[in-house]
Amino acid sequence: MITDVLVSGALATAPAFIAYYLTALGHGFFEKSGVLNLAIDGVFYLSVAVAYATAVYTHGPWGALAITMAVASVFGMLIAYLTTKFPVSHGAVGLSVMFLGYGIGALIGNPAVFAYRDLRSRGVMFDIRLPTEPVARALMYVTAVLAGLAILYLTGRTKLGAAVRAAGENPHAASALGVDVLRVRLIAGAIGYALIGAGATFFELAWLPTWQQLQGMGHGWLAFAISLSAGRHPLLTMVTSATFAGLLTYQYALQAAYNLSPEVAKMVPFIAAIVAMVLFMATPLRRRLAPPLSLGKVYFKEERTV
Amino acid sequence: MVRVVIVKRVKPLPFGNILIPLLSIVMGVVLAALILYFLSGTPPVLLFVNVGMGFIQIQTLRDFLMLTMLGTALVISFTGAIWNIGEEGQITMGMMAAAYIALFTALSHMPSVAKLTMIALALVLGGLWGLIAGVLRAYLNIDEVPVTLIMNYIAYYALNYLVRGPWKGKATYGYIRTDLIPEATHFTLLPVRGVTVTYEDVALTVGIMAFAAFFLWRTAAGVRLKVLGSNPDALRAAGVNVQAMIILALTISGAIAGAVGAAQLAGYLHRISYPMESHTANLGYTAILVAWLSMLDLRAVPIAAYIIGALNQAGRLVQAARLGGAAITYLFIGTTLLTFTVLRVFSEYSIRFVRGGGK
Repeated sequence: MITDVLVSGALATAPAFIAYYLTALGHGFFEKSGVLNLAIDGVFYLSVAVAYATAVYTHGPWGALAITMAVASVFGMLIAYLTTKFPVSHGAVGLSVMFLGYGIGALIGNPAVFAYRDLRSRGVMFDIRLPTEPVARALMYVTAVLAGLAILYLTGRTKLGAAVRAAGENPHAASALGVDVLRVRLIAGAIGYALIGAGATFFELAWLPTWQQLQGMGHGWLAFAISLSAGRHPLLTMVTSATFAGLLTYQYALQAAYNLSPEVAKMVPFIAAIVAMVLFMATPLRRRLAPPLSLGKVYFKEERTV
Repeated sequence: MVRVVIVKRVKPLPFGNILIPLLSIVMGVVLAALILYFLSGTPPVLLFVNVGMGFIQIQTLRDFLMLTMLGTALVISFTGAIWNIGEEGQITMGMMAAAYIALFTALSHMPSVAKLTMIALALVLGGLWGLIAGVLRAYLNIDEVPVTLIMNYIAYYALNYLVRGPWKGKATYGYIRTDLIPEATHFTLLPVRGVTVTYEDVALTVGIMAFAAFFLWRTAAGVRLKVLGSNPDALRAAGVNVQAMIILALTISGAIAGAVGAAQLAGYLHRISYPMESHTANLGYTAILVAWLSMLDLRAVPIAAYIIGALNQAGRLVQAARLGGAAITYLFIGTTLLTFTVLRVFSEYSIRFVRGGGK
């Protein structure tokens, strides 16, 4: 009886869980390489729009998943390149790309809404949604856990992972030891943002399959808080992602149960994001899972080739 | 083989402080035009014409004043390398404060008292919104960028809650919005045809600029803030309370943004409509561009504000992909800021092409 409730509850939150988890996982992995990732919300928003638009134009969700991952990883590499190659502020690059993402995302998403309506009215029927029957939802958990374990293994047990961590802790020393910091950060940016793109696709095509101008805006910041409050650790991020997925999935149920205004219900996850960051930073967890030492620091050596 | 080498200049690029922002704007607009053309087929010429219109239209004056105030507020916090990205939320809180005074207190019988109280409470609430982020950054070292941004959403939803719930007006014809604030609390328009600027806007702008200049150039706290921006360790070593400086920077910045919220409500909005984030100009984000392009020099803030105000106006005039306003403005902000961030490198570094391989 109680297990039935738990299982159905878990299955209901699966799309939100995989969306937030993959996004937070990718973000955490990218930041491990020392690049402060403030572009997350803009590229997340853009990816949500790309996922919707490509699903509409290709008449199905699977091509959209691949294309969105590819588009997002291009942005990841752009951020990695600019912050590593030039003596520029990571914050400035991140916020610029964030606004760029907001602008381009709206330009891509809005026409797709009209295209979708137009196709529907001409009797072209197709489903833009990723499969969401119970088996598919269970598979979402499996996929998320496998992705998490893969990143955990990649970071902790492989040569590339060691190079990523070295680039994040002390890029100058890493470089002296023969690590190509730029290459490593480009790879971390590509992998991290491919995951963010995948998260955005699940957000749009498995969880909330419509599009309007504010679709997904702000949720990248929730993923940022989910990752930060788990110390960017792939396994702990599962716990924080599940918490937020539950909160957001049952937002409307909470609203009904406690007779809350929808506005108050919308506010709750954002307050929870700040509370989660405070809890993490105010407790010993912060020391156990410290951020990379050179996170957001300008990495630049005089006289170098582009 | 030709290699590209980035070399530090002996002296900074001459006139770099003027050339680089201007060049960034031009390149940013061109880049935005190309993106618009490829994504929605908007002819670039149409965009350039609208940008030109933006520079000469009288409506740009209002954005110019608002962005000057908001940009000044950001220069104060950015000087200390404190990145307040939460002006949107602080403006919202200021608007909430002003609306409360205008709609629900008897002060509207005394217009000048009411207006002053609206501004004062807006300063307090906006400042408080900045202060929260300041405390979290100062004592727990939580990055202020995500915190201030997340607090924007909290502020939006808080005001939306009031507008949908307890503050919902009586004479709103089915729209979800508050009643109009009493005429006595409206700011007074300048007596020029077509101008949407008020005497109070002008007074606030002058007052805020004067305060900022005094604070940054004439007080010990202003100097400490500059040191905080360039060398926080030196500040700590000198025994300065760094935490207090961080909190001060975000509070002042937030308070000014709050006052702008009051000015927007009393100057032209005159009521709050639901959802409020879609009915305001989102200038809190646009102001980031103003502050950065001014190179954190107060004297350049009005110039940057005018240029960005014109671009903002152009964003409203252009319709692309059946969108106008915010989306186009975000695109401008993104392309210009990105170009600027990269170009700024060249005021201190130069690019050389070197023949031959090897090191």
